Amino acid sequence: MDISSLKARLDAAQYVCDDGLATTLLVALQLGRPLLIEGAAGVGKTEIAKVMAGALDRELVRLQCYEGLDESKALYEWNYQKQLLSIQVRMNRQDPDELTRSLFGDEYLLERPLLRSIRSEKPVVLLIDEIDKADEEFEAFLLELLSEMQVTIPEVGTMRAKSVPFVVLTSNRARPLSEALRRRCAYLYIPYPDVEKEVAIIRAKLPHAGDRLAVQVAQAVHDLRENDAILKKPSIAETLDWVSALEALGISDLDREAARRTLGFVLKSSEDMEAALACEEAPDHHHCGACGHAGQP
Amino acid sequence: MSVYLEKLAEFSGLLRREGLTVGLRETEDACRLLADWNLTDRETVRCALETVYAKSREEQAAFRRAFDGFFVSVERREALRRRHEEEAQALAQRRAEAERELQVNGHPIDLREDLQEVYIRMGEEKRRELMEMLEKTRGTMDRSPDKLYSSFIRSVFMRFLLEQQMVMEDAAVGCEASDPDLALLYRDISHFKDADVPRAAALIDAISRQLDAQLSRQRQTGGHSGKLDFKRTIRRGLETGGSFYRLSYKRKRRTRRRLALLCDVSGSMLQFSEFALRFLKSMSDVSESSQIFLFSEQVHLVDPFALQNMDAFRDYVRTSGLYGRGTDLGSALEQVCRRPGALGPSTTLLILSDTKTIDIPRAARSLLEARRQAGKVLWLNPIPEGKWPYVRSIQTMSALCQMLPCSTLDELARACRKLLR
Repeated sequence: MDISSLKARLDAAQYVCDDGLATTLLVALQLGRPLLIEGAAGVGKTEIAKVMAGALDRELVRLQCYEGLDESKALYEWNYQKQLLSIQVRMNRQDPDELTRSLFGDEYLLERPLLRSIRSEKPVVLLIDEIDKADEEFEAFLLELLSEMQVTIPEVGTMRAKSVPFVVLTSNRARPLSEALRRRCAYLYIPYPDVEKEVAIIRAKLPHAGDRLAVQVAQAVHDLRENDAILKKPSIAETLDWVSALEALGISDLDREAARRTLGFVLKSSEDMEAALACEEAPDHHHCGACGHAGQP
Repeated sequence: MSVYLEKLAEFSGLLRREGLTVGLRETEDACRLLADWNLTDRETVRCALETVYAKSREEQAAFRRAFDGFFVSVERREALRRRHEEEAQALAQRRAEAERELQVNGHPIDLREDLQEVYIRMGEEKRRELMEMLEKTRGTMDRSPDKLYSSFIRSVFMRFLLEQQMVMEDAAVGCEASDPDLALLYRDISHFKDADVPRAAALIDAISRQLDAQLSRQRQTGGHSGKLDFKRTIRRGLETGGSFYRLSYKRKRRTRRRLALLCDVSGSMLQFSEFALRFLKSMSDVSESSQIFLFSEQVHLVDPFALQNMDAFRDYVRTSGLYGRGTDLGSALEQVCRRPGALGPSTTLLILSDTKTIDIPRAARSLLEARRQAGKVLWLNPIPEGKWPYVRSIQTMSALCQMLPCSTLDELARACRKLLR
């Protein structure tokens, strides 16, 4: 596979990507390195794993990280109830050593996403989402998997990957990740798209949306993201929601009134809405996104 | 091909010098890419190598600088060479000028080499300011050419240069950060603008939540005391048909430390103290109980609940008469030490101050007494660590207790982590 064919596959999956992004994805894929993607919330980090799964025709295995995530949720767990039941049933009928050995077989092993991804016969795309939300201990636990593509289960031993998964880790930079984890990954930073790219995304995802509306919304969202007073910057998904909402209301031109009525689709806190509207009413106001007249062609 | 590889190894070396952690693996990956892909387009090569070598946004910026400097076209290389020659000439000329200018009564001023460099690299306006100052004092020096006066002039001169050096160091730090949120994390708190405060507060909340979670995890997995808890083990065994499948152990008794906070709220320290308090308050589980003392020239004991709202904190400081005053750390520490029950073996005394105080010897004596009374003394200093060698009071105080740099939110978070241990 070369860069242009990967790009074509991503285009087919309606993911708007430039040559730089396609090059990075291909480098990570061909070197077999995990890809660490950083960027603000809502810029399309998780989406990359999904479209890569589609583009490579692989299954997507997802591990959502959170505080307190441990190996029993991420890697494996023994089915204790089944083991106990088995002991009770076979206690007098089997050699005790044999019984003990049989208790740590595949039959009693509950696979979690990490184990599933490396035991899969066909290569998969493994998405480890929001790794920055997991604890530092979990990060350290991942190192063996990321560098050697193997995991160790004390009762069984070391399991090597049957097929090498394409691992995608995403982070919102809520906390700095360890140097050791970074070293094992290829790195990609995704900024918010510029107006041109966001218009292309709207056209790709919502082909029925009017061109004029797409440009107006993309420009307005860009202005909102530039506004320092707004804390939660609108994501790409919110841009798409906004366009859909405007379309559903039969609005083809984003004017001030339409923007005010539908601002809730793109700003999700009262403080941010107040900040956007206050900016609109300021005497030296230029474009804040909430006024709706920004970027009219 | 070998020339190609040699160049790549050289480039890896250059990246290491730029501060990137480049190992053999990265160089090997880069070699594989260049060999297998047959890349010709410069932009694609840059992007591919960047994926391999740079592991963060900061490293990406450093990589791009290094790449642009290393892989240059012949024309650009020639242009760069010419520019470097011109710059070297200009620098040599400025050195010669500086040698003429840095004289008093025909004798060269005794200046360290690094300060001479600072003078040479200073802007035109700053140099003029400095020369004007020298010119103004020249007449006085001619009239009273005693040693004391000329050494005074030299010290003023050196102080000016040291300040310039600090400004230059700060400017360099500012260039490195390219992500707004990340920049905020690493920016000097004293340089925050009003517009940054809400974002900084959100960042503090996020970090404090992590610290809180870290602390609760430490307690959950804090280990057992080694003694089996028979009652709980038997009770849990009933769940598994009488088999003692999971053993329960007696838990260690948790002893939480008491915290005494001594916050400097003199003019220059208010913003830092506000952020630091916000941090410490949000870590609700850090201590059993905390006492907060605010001080400038006097000391006030504050009710921690009154400081929940940071606007109230500012109002309180402004109306209490503490704001805008000088700093008397010695007196503040003496009053805290004299207060019954304020300090004790299970208390950690946390001092938030830049160490700039009147009567340093008295402050040092009081700090020694506080160290004797409290179980632990930690000092959070908002002055960047790089500037510590230039401040005498910091050198004195850091010899007496553990001092942590807290000029940025990142450093503040690290200090709080230390506090948890």
